[in-house]
Amino acid sequence: MKLSFNQIAVSFTQINKTHLQFAMMVLTLVMLVLGAGAPEEVGGSGR
Amino acid sequence: MILLTAIATGLLAGWGYARWTGAAWQSPVFRVTWLVALGFLPQLLAFYLPSTRRLLTNEAASLCLIASQILLLVFAALNMRNPGMPLLAFGLACNLAVILANGGFMPLSTATASRLVSPTVLDRLVVGERVSSASKDVLLQESRIRLPWLADRFLPPQDFPYRFAFSLGDVFIALGTFWILAHGKYSDSFI
Repeated sequence: MKLSFNQIAVSFTQINKTHLQFAMMVLTLVMLVLGAGAPEEVGGSGR
Repeated sequence: MILLTAIATGLLAGWGYARWTGAAWQSPVFRVTWLVALGFLPQLLAFYLPSTRRLLTNEAASLCLIASQILLLVFAALNMRNPGMPLLAFGLACNLAVILANGGFMPLSTATASRLVSPTVLDRLVVGERVSSASKDVLLQESRIRLPWLADRFLPPQDFPYRFAFSLGDVFIALGTFWILAHGKYSDSFI
């Protein structure tokens, strides 16, 4: 039983770490793309 | 905002292909990610945060843009092994080149601006001035733009609901971003 709890705890830790890494990767790409690009956006219908 | 769709579609393509093939999609891994945060910070202050951008002169904003893009180009160079990063770096270099050639901002021709905004809004814009304090673009006559083929000169089709002008560099940046995410990490069998 104790082993099962440990396994669950370990798997949650891994999931959180994976999610965190994914979020950091997306954040890195968002900053990179926003910083690198220079489109002029009006939004909506524009005119 | 429009460049962020490249991230969304790249993620969807990567996940979708992985699910289709039964493989596990893995996030791409970057080196020196702190350099992106450091590189983006000047632009955050100069263009994105209203409370700080109004404090900066045009010259300061221009310096922020150039310094930021140089740092981001260094990051791209250090991560050139990631599939898609050469495309993204090329797009960034194109944007940086045209920005440097035109006084520190991305040029937008009056002809392109007239197709982008209403005549009322166009009348309020001044040739030689930035489009707005939140914009990286400066309004110029077509004949005065250096490297005009790299400027913000392309527009989506007239029926497209979202209006924006983009450069050739932006296209390469979007393609590179899509490729980075669609490929993922070390998935040799993909694409």
